[in-house]
This record gives sequence, C-alpha cells and structure tokens, in this order.
Amino acid sequence: MNAVDSGSVRKKGVRNQVKPGAVLRLLLAVLLGKLVAFCCRLFRYPGTSLPGHTALKVFPRLVEHLAGGYQKVIAVTGTNGKTTTANLIAHVLREAGFRVAHNSEGANMLPGVAAALLRDCDLLGRISSQVAVLEVDEGSVGKVFAAARPDLVVVTNYFRDQLDRYWELERTTGLLREAVSKLPGVTLVLNADDPLVAAVGRGQEQVLYYGVEEQSCTGSLFTEEPVPANSGKGHDWSALCEVVSGDRLISGGGIAEIFGETREGRFCSFCGSPLTYRCYHYGQLGDYSCPECGYRRPRPDFAASGVKCGEGRLSFTLSVFRSEDSFISLLGKIDTFSNRGGYGRERHQVEAPLRGFYNTYNLLAAAAAVLTLGVSPATLQKAVSTYTPATGRMEEFFLAGRRCTLALVKNPVGANQVLRTVKESRASKALVIAINDLAADGRDVSWLWDADFALLADPSVVRIICSGRRAADLAVCLKYSGVDTGKIAVVPEQEESLKLLSQEEAGEFYVLATYTNLFTYARLLRLGKVVADSEAQGLPSLS
Amino acid sequence: MRLRVCHLYPDLLNLYGDRGNVLVLCRRAAWRGIRVELEAVSLGECVRFTDYDLVFVGGGADLEQGLVARDLSRKGPYLIEAAQAGVVILSICGGYQLLGRFYRTREGREIPGIGLFDIHTEAGEKRLKGNVLLEADPELVAEMRRINPGAPATLVGYENHSGRTFLGSGVRPLGRLLKGYGNNGGDSGEGAWIKNAFGTYLHGPLLSKNPHFADLFICRALSRRYGEVSLAPLDDSLELQAHEVAKNRLLKSRQGKI
Repeated sequence: MNAVDSGSVRKKGVRNQVKPGAVLRLLLAVLLGKLVAFCCRLFRYPGTSLPGHTALKVFPRLVEHLAGGYQKVIAVTGTNGKTTTANLIAHVLREAGFRVAHNSEGANMLPGVAAALLRDCDLLGRISSQVAVLEVDEGSVGKVFAAARPDLVVVTNYFRDQLDRYWELERTTGLLREAVSKLPGVTLVLNADDPLVAAVGRGQEQVLYYGVEEQSCTGSLFTEEPVPANSGKGHDWSALCEVVSGDRLISGGGIAEIFGETREGRFCSFCGSPLTYRCYHYGQLGDYSCPECGYRRPRPDFAASGVKCGEGRLSFTLSVFRSEDSFISLLGKIDTFSNRGGYGRERHQVEAPLRGFYNTYNLLAAAAAVLTLGVSPATLQKAVSTYTPATGRMEEFFLAGRRCTLALVKNPVGANQVLRTVKESRASKALVIAINDLAADGRDVSWLWDADFALLADPSVVRIICSGRRAADLAVCLKYSGVDTGKIAVVPEQEESLKLLSQEEAGEFYVLATYTNLFTYARLLRLGKVVADSEAQGLPSLS
Repeated sequence: MRLRVCHLYPDLLNLYGDRGNVLVLCRRAAWRGIRVELEAVSLGECVRFTDYDLVFVGGGADLEQGLVARDLSRKGPYLIEAAQAGVVILSICGGYQLLGRFYRTREGREIPGIGLFDIHTEAGEKRLKGNVLLEADPELVAEMRRINPGAPATLVGYENHSGRTFLGSGVRPLGRLLKGYGNNGGDSGEGAWIKNAFGTYLHGPLLSKNPHFADLFICRALSRRYGEVSLAPLDDSLELQAHEVAKNRLLKSRQGKI
C-alpha cells in the first residue's frame, strides 16, 4: 500500500510560521534536546522525558510548533489501556505504509511528547513522519492537547488511579471535557460502555463510539455473575458472614467477594441518579441506563461480539454500523484506500496475539480509530495479527526455562483484569508482585485494598514474592485477602526477588509490577542475568 | 461471642481502600473464633445503631459526600444515641469531617455535620498529603499494650485531604504527629477521640499496618455486651513488619514526605 506523500497534505494552520527570533530558539531547543538524548543513550539512562524537558525550557512552544507539521495528530487518553491502544494504532498505521511518530515508551506528559517529536525531527527541526500518535496522560490533557491540537482523540476508560495525583474522577473527566472544548473540529472516539467516558461525547459534533456487545457479557470468559448496580448495596454481605463465621482463614473469601468489585461512575453524569445495568463487562463497563433522565449507553458505531480469549490470542467479530460517507477519512481525500468498499453493517473478524479480556477494548478502540482514519479493514486485520505487546503489557520472557509474563499493575480495575488472566491459566504458578510508591506509581498504596487479590488464594498459586518499596504492605493485603501466609515471601530487592522466583517449582512465572519497577524487571528478564540457564531474550529494546 | 459491625455508606464512601479496615476487623475477630455479623447501611435506610457493636464510616468523593451529608442529617441523632450507649464508632477522612459540627467551604458556606464530635473543618487551599507517623495518646498506648503486650506506641498511615480540622474542648487527638500534617497542619495533632468515638485522616488502610489499634476496636466493641474480654494473640509479624518499614522510612526522611 502506498503511503501518502508527506509534502502533499499539510495542515492548514499557520502554526509552522515562526518569527525569526523563535527560529533560533527552536533550533537551539532541538539541538539541546538531541544532545541530552544522545547523552542519555551514552550513559544508558532511559531518558524518555529528559530531552523534552530540556528542550521545552528553551522553547516552550516546541510541541505546538512540531505537532503542527503532521498531517494528522492522534491522541489516546484514559486510565487503563492507553499504551496498548496507542501502540496498536501506530503499528497499524505503519503497516498501512505511513511514517509514524509515537511516544511508545509511555512517557505521556508534555516532556515525554516533546521528546518523541524531537526524535522524529532532524537538527533543523524538520519532522520526518506524516502522522503523530500520542499517548497522553489523563492529567496532562490540558497542556498536551493545547499544544499538539489532536485531530482525533481516543478515550479508553476512567478508573480510579493515583488519586493522590488526580484526586477524584470527576476532576479527571472535567479536565478532558475542558481540553476537548478547545479543539474545534476534533473527532472523538469514545468507549460507549464506560458511562464516564461516553458522557464526554454529549454535545460534541463528531463522535464515534465503540463498545462490546452483550453476548460477550455473560459468556464463559469469567464465572462472575453480573451484578445489577442498583440491587441493594451491590455487595454480597451474606458472603462475608459465611467467610468469617468459619473458624480459620478460608481461602477465596476476599474483599471483592465481600464488597463487590470496584466500580466507578455508578451515578449518572447528568442527573446524579444511580445507573441501572443490563450487564457488566468489568469495572463499570457495561450496558447502562439512567432511570431518571433517560441517559443511556450510546449505540456503538464499532461493536465487538463473540469475544474469545485464551492461548495467548484474542479475537472478536467487529461490526461497523455506519455508512462509508460518515467516515471521516482523516488522512485526506487521497485515493490510497479507495478499495474500502461500502461499510454498511460489514463484519470483520479481528484477531491479535493479546492476552486478557480487557484487551478487547484496546483492540476495539484501535480498530475504531484506524478505520475512522481511512485504513481498510483488510490492512487492519493483517496488521494487528503481527502486533507485539509493549513492555510489561503481558510481555513474555523465559526465566529458568519457563514462561515468565511481565504485567503492569497500577490501579484496582487494571490489577483485577491481570489477576483474572493469571488465574485463568491452569498451570501452577509463582509470582513476584512489586509495589513501589514513587511519584509515577502514586504515593498512596491503599489502592491495593480495592483490588481483588483473593483471586490469588488459589491452589494453582504456589508462591507469591512481595517486592518493591511497599513489599510489606502488599504482604499484609494478601494475608487479609485469604492467601495462605506460608506462600508469602517478602523480598523488597528486585534482582533478589527474581532469583527466588526462578527457584520455585512452578509451571509458569508472573511478574506484576507498578510503573517504576516495570522497566527494571523488563531489563533484568531481557538480559537473562538473573540465572545462568535463563537465555537472553532477543526482544526489541525499549527505544 | 458475636461482633456486630455496621458499615455506613459502603457504596458511596468507598475511596482509598478504607473498606480494608472492615476486612481487617472482621478477619481478626474471626481468627479468634468470634462470629462476625456485618451489615451495610446506606441512603434512606433506617436502622437502630444501638443494635451494633461497631459502626464504620469511610471517606468519599465530593459528589458522594454531598449525598451522604443530607442523609446523615436524618441518621445523626440515632448515631449520637448509639455513641452515648457505648457503640464504638470509627470514622475516616470524609466520614470524620461529617461527624463534626460543620464543614466550612472556601466560599464561607457552612455544611452542617451531625455534631458527634466537637470539631469543625475548614476548606484549605493546599492538599495535605503524604505518609504520616504519630505517637499515640498515652492512654490509648496503655490500653493497646494491655491487649497486646508488645504493641508499638506509634500509628502509621497515609493522609490526603484539603480540609483543616480543629478540635473543640473535650476531644483529644489520637496522638502527636512525628511526621505529616494531621488535622490541620498546624497543631501537631492527628484525628480525634472521645470515649468510644474515633475519627482520623489516616488511610492505608489505617488498621492494616496498625494491628494493635485494630484489636483495641475489637476489644472495646465486645466489652459493651461481654464485659472485659481478652483476645487470643495472633501472629502479627507481617503487619508489624509493614508498620516498622513505614515508620523507619519516615524517621529517616527529612520532611516526612517519603
């Protein structure tokens, strides 16, 4: 497939025109940024934001200037799934023949975005790619959207995450609404199943929704019965009485069994009444409606049905409920994709090497975004089948001859999805769970108690090694979640914890880590340094 | 023996893992063979709080807290009646503020609380957040050590609030701050207690790393109906390790922010 000639379609804006004084500052900023990036590489420092940070000091309008040069800027924001969704979009666009600039390392605040764009330009500040795919931190949408002015904004979901940084969800969704209101002509691609996200679409001109259809709701994916949001308190209190009336610690009687899964936004964003649900997928994602004001889940333009996951693959049928005319071929009226054919209610089978039901939403969001951009379904299908997961998104390594899966955990809903995926596999397993409390992890680790660690109180789990700065906090949480204390070890040091893990008699290994631990574990596992017989991994590096 | 626990507004005041406190109380009682009966009470539900041994109320987001404030004004008198009858009450963050006399917003509007504690809260500009270490009130320490002879004299947790709470006469802080902001960032006090009613800003959840404090609540809750009770000792090595790790890190840090 031919790529669009980069020179032929430029954004209309006059943002590229910079005053002579600014040109100098731009050149200086680019030079300095690149120098810092070079030094970072030299000293093997990750340096995902530092070059951007430096360059922004010299030329604060750097992102605004560079982003203006792309044909299209695509932004992905939300709580969970940003990295996977953005990486999928970038991957598909590359496969479709575009040159793509992308902050793939998850450095998603303004300096990280600046660093990614710096990498994409030469010493004279000329960008080389046609499209920018930017993952944007949900707390940074104000700054980043104002500077990068995205044409397409994809929103994944809003869960409770790092409350000490973003306080509460109302504030986070408010930030997005405000940022979007300053982007005339923007197209939104929103998760119809998340009432907090879908509410952002009200009053917007160009909105496309994606969602998972009901038949996947109560399927055989999980045994969990959907709970009506409004049935009493949504908690199964009788469960607790049984759990605790026994004489000793009973496995499986965890916090979620007692209190129900953590769900956000159970109240209508418009009138404040409790929402009723026809079904739940996970968290607050599902088919909801408000009995008071009539607000309900918007009908998805892109719908996934017949979701199957297992054996390291995820597949579903993608139905597209829009006529071709309503597609905003954002990549210009170029005939690259003239063979798209009429969409109508076309169905496409989509399959990707991803694990975990939650990835349905990431794959679906990415599909919705690229089809909206004008990529053909055939290109989409072919591209996603060759996708490799990003660092720590169920990334696979080998440790002591066994499969070792690395996964990021950072908030209750995300952690629950990972824990379920771990439990699903039938093999016996040993885990390292590494919890840090640095700024990027969230200083407050009380979120552990809103996750459902009782999922690990399972005979197939033979050992859990608690690691990181908050190893002891996690150990306590596991104990009260019903995990046998004989299986719990506290080993705060990272390399030490992996050594211990590699000695466990288990069919497979998992490492679940918060953000600041993730890259250390990825590096250790990739180098294969931990144990002699663990082969070095031939996987792509972080940059 | 039975322990009857009431969790107030678990569906609305559900931030920061505070529900973990209820889990800790229930587990620690159950591990000692005490039968636990846990009930959730939320908006519009009428109950006799004197039927419980312990009432727990956590903190929530602004929207939810507003809904609760209205409902609580109706439940307030019954909750006060229960407190006077010796029912143990533990309130955290938003719940703690709502049990006070009033909350004054930044605009100067006063939202009435139920007045269980003689405290009031004023909205502040800067959010007070970070890890907290306090030396517990000597009277509480003595009581905790009667239950668990090796109990630490300290409490650890995490705070995250913009309200500044000021104590009236007759109410005592839970302890003296060694690190952190506490009630108002000014008077080195954290939390409040009077008889069997307790309030605090500490999350973590509070009782997870302070097992000695959890047992104090269980003992007090049971003693109303069973007289003086002694609790069988538990293996608290993990809990106390978490307590020590948090404490030592805070003592080493200069500003108490780490």
